[in-house]
Amino acid sequence: MSTLILDDVSKIYGKDTRRSVDGVSMSIKDGEIIALLGSSGCGKTSTLRMIAGFEDVTSGTIRIGDKVVNDLKPSERDVAMAFEGYALYPPLRVRENIAFSLLKNRTPRAEIDKRVGAVSDMLEIGPLLDKYPPSLSGGQQQRVSLARAMVRNASAFLLDEPMSQLEPQLRALLRARIKDHMTAHRMTTVIVTHDQTEAIALSDRVAVMDKGLLQQFGTPDDLRERPANLFVASFIGEPPMNIFPGARTENGVVVLNERGEAAFGIAGATGGLSAHDGLHVGIRPHRIHVGGGVPGAETVQGEVLSSHWLGDHSHIGLSVGGCFLIAVGDRDATPPAGSVVPVSIPRDAVHLFDSASGAAIQHGL
Amino acid sequence: MSFLSIDRLSKSYRKNEVIRDLSFAVDRGEFLVVFGPSGAGKTVLLRLIAGMVRPDRGRVLLGGSDITDDNPEQRDIAMAFQNFALYPHMSAFDNIGSPLRAAKVGEAERRRRVEEAAKLLRIDHVLGHLPRALSNGQKQRTALARSLVSEPSLLLLDDPLRNVDAKVRYEMRLELPRLLRARDTTVVYVTQDYKEAMALGDRIAVLADGGFQQIDTPERVYNAPASARIARLFGDPPINLLPAVRSGAGLRVASSEIALDGAAPDRAECTMGVRPEDVIVSLEQASGAIPVEIDAVTPLNDRQVMLLRADDGTEIFASQPQGTHVVPGGLPSGRERPRAWARLDVSRSHFFETASGARV
Amino acid sequence: MQSPAFRVVRALLLLLIGIFFLFPIVWVLLMSFMTNVDILRSPPSPFFVPTLRNYVALISGHLSTSSGEVQIDYMHNLLNSVILSTCSVIVSLILGVPAAYAFARFKFRGGEDMAFTLLSFRFAPPLLVLLPLLGYFQAIGLYDTYFGLIWVYQLITLPLVLWITRGYFEDVSEDLELAYRLDGHSWLSTFFRISIPLARPGIAAAGLLSFIFAWNNFIFALILGSSSVQPVTVGALAFITASGIEYGQIAAALVLSVIPTLILAIFTQRYLVEGLSLGAIKG
Repeated sequence: MSTLILDDVSKIYGKDTRRSVDGVSMSIKDGEIIALLGSSGCGKTSTLRMIAGFEDVTSGTIRIGDKVVNDLKPSERDVAMAFEGYALYPPLRVRENIAFSLLKNRTPRAEIDKRVGAVSDMLEIGPLLDKYPPSLSGGQQQRVSLARAMVRNASAFLLDEPMSQLEPQLRALLRARIKDHMTAHRMTTVIVTHDQTEAIALSDRVAVMDKGLLQQFGTPDDLRERPANLFVASFIGEPPMNIFPGARTENGVVVLNERGEAAFGIAGATGGLSAHDGLHVGIRPHRIHVGGGVPGAETVQGEVLSSHWLGDHSHIGLSVGGCFLIAVGDRDATPPAGSVVPVSIPRDAVHLFDSASGAAIQHGL
Repeated sequence: MSFLSIDRLSKSYRKNEVIRDLSFAVDRGEFLVVFGPSGAGKTVLLRLIAGMVRPDRGRVLLGGSDITDDNPEQRDIAMAFQNFALYPHMSAFDNIGSPLRAAKVGEAERRRRVEEAAKLLRIDHVLGHLPRALSNGQKQRTALARSLVSEPSLLLLDDPLRNVDAKVRYEMRLELPRLLRARDTTVVYVTQDYKEAMALGDRIAVLADGGFQQIDTPERVYNAPASARIARLFGDPPINLLPAVRSGAGLRVASSEIALDGAAPDRAECTMGVRPEDVIVSLEQASGAIPVEIDAVTPLNDRQVMLLRADDGTEIFASQPQGTHVVPGGLPSGRERPRAWARLDVSRSHFFETASGARV
Repeated sequence: MQSPAFRVVRALLLLLIGIFFLFPIVWVLLMSFMTNVDILRSPPSPFFVPTLRNYVALISGHLSTSSGEVQIDYMHNLLNSVILSTCSVIVSLILGVPAAYAFARFKFRGGEDMAFTLLSFRFAPPLLVLLPLLGYFQAIGLYDTYFGLIWVYQLITLPLVLWITRGYFEDVSEDLELAYRLDGHSWLSTFFRISIPLARPGIAAAGLLSFIFAWNNFIFALILGSSSVQPVTVGALAFITASGIEYGQIAAALVLSVIPTLILAIFTQRYLVEGLSLGAIKG
């Protein structure tokens, strides 16, 4: 319900020389849902805690709406947070936990009951309202913690690993309901997660972090189709991008196998390439078509090593010239292991990266 | 003749019966995946087979002989653990060589076999390292090498890919079956990831509520689930389970009439199971389709997953394959929700009894 | 951010506290190099002519006081201390480590009660049992023997070993032991090759602590032994002579008595700080 702007924000802990968060800038629009995505230690939680006010900002400014909040206490920032460790008040019933901040603001009783009822229906915790937190399972406590944050009217909502403990069947439903709720109420939201599927399912834009640095901040489509560097390319997607060392040829690129031999070539324009020596080639598994016959694609012969049918899609492991390639097929694509099949690689699904810096050079040939 | 057979096995902890009258058999060279939600008793089952835990009742037979009362070290069984269980004070080499040392294999022969296993799993360059110096992927490979080095007749794998990163997980998923098939190893593999179960298993044993609900090929488990409960365990997003009432020649689902072509359940009411990929969403009105609004779009890899809400409040998941965006660019912020029509593919639907959830 | 004034005040406070607690130790060290005259000077002065007289007297066993020469076999007390403490710890480790493992690994009926009973030996004041013990130690001939004292010392050291190592054994993953047994090793070899090495920091800590507790024990040895088996704690009493208290020699005796425990602590420190799991199990 407010904009949230981070301007060159850094965090250094104690006498550490390393920056845990290193010059992160991002501008989050009013009502936008963003995810801070990365593995543990990448700086995502530190960033969230600085926004919440639990950590000092070493340098840079954080603005919520028009207000610089660097020196405000957490309680003065008007943010709601769901903690990874739940942080529920054990002596209070679930209902009182959820209503806690509303009670503090002297919200009328009827209004409180209505809102607690709505949020607990959404998160499927209605039957738990009169229980005490210690008697709940981890997943249930996590939902209560989420409800306690979402029931509020705050300028920004901060959710730290909000769904890590939920059983998979419930997770899909709650993701969708929460996203519905957040867009309907135009809630400015920052979600911290290490799970790229969760980040992509929930957010309008995703900030990928590694080693304290913001690697890329873009829409899920940007991350998939235009990854800024090798780190993002190998982090996003399930299965993640196929990445191989490669080399430039006269009319395109060639992919090298583990022994450094040419495995297969992909013809295409490589205009911006001449200055680079080391090269990595990335091919998204979801775009590779097993069976051939795709216009605008390079077709090579591959041996099927394994073929895993997963219900609504399939994963196919291929060996092409000694390179191990994963392709995602639709639910009818299950070529038998051992067979040799044509494999189409669309030119626009090929990404080139600089080996030394990891930065993307070109998306599509 | 089955190789491993479990005969009416039961085990209780403090009056809580974790495993109840469990029986199954695994053929030589078969890859059986035991799949179930957490807390279903999968780990206890592995421990019963390994001999670390003794059953209250029932027998374990391996290669025709009763091993129920044998100590773990007397059973020709190897195991790899979710937490790797590498001996922290021994190098990777000594970890892998441990079963050979127990079997009193000579030093030269031991070195040869450890190196061979390490090469197969591509960890031959880290053999001198202590476990703490290995990455999670290398730890898992070391643990696997240790379980393979003595060429056991039965291999138990306890969710071995849970703690490794996505890249290694995919590599191993594809590599593991080839590695094991080449050695004709019999495998019991435990996981709580349905995709892993479907990808790896010759058969999947679905463990829930202390017993096996279904033991079948991945295809049968997915396409012909024995119950609504099993159907919900496979698929992401999970299957839609919609109350359906017989109405003339068709069915009434989510307050809409839908036509039935062919096999119809001969019951007045039942639960209709429709997988999200069998729900076709269109922005244009179509006959026999349920009017809905699109509440949320939550992309899953390249698939567009949509939560639909019918006029009577019923929630329906739909999942469209890559390249078909019903709502390009996702939903706008605010309360406005686009109107759409959802057609359920009846020919691919499942019908379950309302009360018991059993397949009709 | 901390202001400079805050930091100066904090440093001063820390220094004051440090001096307060360290001063007695420094003073004893200084006293051990002083003559009784220097020690008893009022006001006390840190300036004196250091002397090794006290140490020489202790090591030679000849103590000259104003009322004549006294024989004090302090080195024999020191040897007694070493024998008593070392043997007590060894016995405790041999008995306590396997017991601790059993308490940690096997949940058997009454196990918890048994472990607690053993710990409760530490709650009762030793005097409670000392007099009856004296009675039957004399009756069965254990009075004034190393064996008898080592036996009684188990009251001090065994509960310590048991409770400390039990916690460490509980932290050793059962999966590691199962893995090792599935490799084909017997449970005995699993115990020695997996459980013991991984609980080593705990065993070292327990051993060191029990050694110190045994070393510092006073009352058992005072009552249940004569000078032939008495340790340094009791031996230092001899310096309270008819003609006065030999503060200098008491100080020197104390300094000498601390040295073995100090050496042991430094030696075992390596094991104490060694991480338990060493990164094998993903935490």
